[in-house]
Amino acid sequence: MARRVLRAERQAPEGKGKYAYCVIRCPSERESFGDIGFEGEEVYSLDYRDLAPVVSDVAFREYAVNEAEVETHRKVAEQVMKKYSVLPVAYGMAFKTRKLLQIAMGAGYQAMQKALQVVDGKVELGIKLFLPKELEDWTAGEKEECRSDFLASLRNKAEDSKELKLFSDRLILNAAFLVDGARIEEFSEQVDKLAMKFEKPKLQYSGPWPAYNFVDIHILGSKRKGFR
Amino acid sequence: MFFVDDLLLRTLGLSLPGFDMIWMLEQVQKFAYKDLYNPEKIKNQIKETRLLYEFGEIAREEYERKNSELMRKLRLAQKAEEMNLSSRTDILG
Repeated sequence: MARRVLRAERQAPEGKGKYAYCVIRCPSERESFGDIGFEGEEVYSLDYRDLAPVVSDVAFREYAVNEAEVETHRKVAEQVMKKYSVLPVAYGMAFKTRKLLQIAMGAGYQAMQKALQVVDGKVELGIKLFLPKELEDWTAGEKEECRSDFLASLRNKAEDSKELKLFSDRLILNAAFLVDGARIEEFSEQVDKLAMKFEKPKLQYSGPWPAYNFVDIHILGSKRKGFR
Repeated sequence: MFFVDDLLLRTLGLSLPGFDMIWMLEQVQKFAYKDLYNPEKIKNQIKETRLLYEFGEIAREEYERKNSELMRKLRLAQKAEEMNLSSRTDILG
């Protein structure tokens, strides 16, 4: 496999780095996920011990927050998670050389191993409850009843949960749930029941996503954009 | 050369109405800039705009217009934060 990867690297044009989308358990041989990376480049797995960063070859540039590019990053991770348990990598993690990527993998190896055990076979599902304009005068008590009912019922169907930032005054719940792949249907049924009970707030039920909110590994400092 | 400024007067416990007014206006301006160019606040607005679009409260065109306006504002705020424009350095010691 190593020879195959090295051959792929030799084929990469001069001056190109590696952009990491996610990390998976090392497949038995190099796996290609198609030409779905930045600039239509091939997304493929490299190997680092028993882990495999999923990367594509990219040109040297800065990865500023840009909706289309964040979407590309997200779509690749989603494609990979159809087949593997995925450790998501933050947007913008590009490395000048494969060697630098390997150094980062080495630095985070143990933390990644632990995190993979947490997310193995599980997905993240998101719930947002948003008040329509005509309900903006809902009392704090009404909001709290709705919020706590959703949280308590859904926590019973999940392995873990996280309340996320309320970025709008009209948002009454923003939460992520780590759900076993086999229990997604059960979780969805519970969401339907709650949606029938609380008809007024707008509900956004999203996923399955890679477990972005349940993996928090910082490697090589907190700098999130640009080449390393 | 000796400068008598509001800081010196304040240290001495004195106050002149003119200086006080300037000082107050500076504080108001500083607060307004901090609020207007607060990256966290702008990021929240970006997320809220996206949610409004996803819930069908605003159309695609309006979402795109608002989003690009907020992204421009965010870049500006981040640049201002990097340059630390809000703090003054006393180069005269």
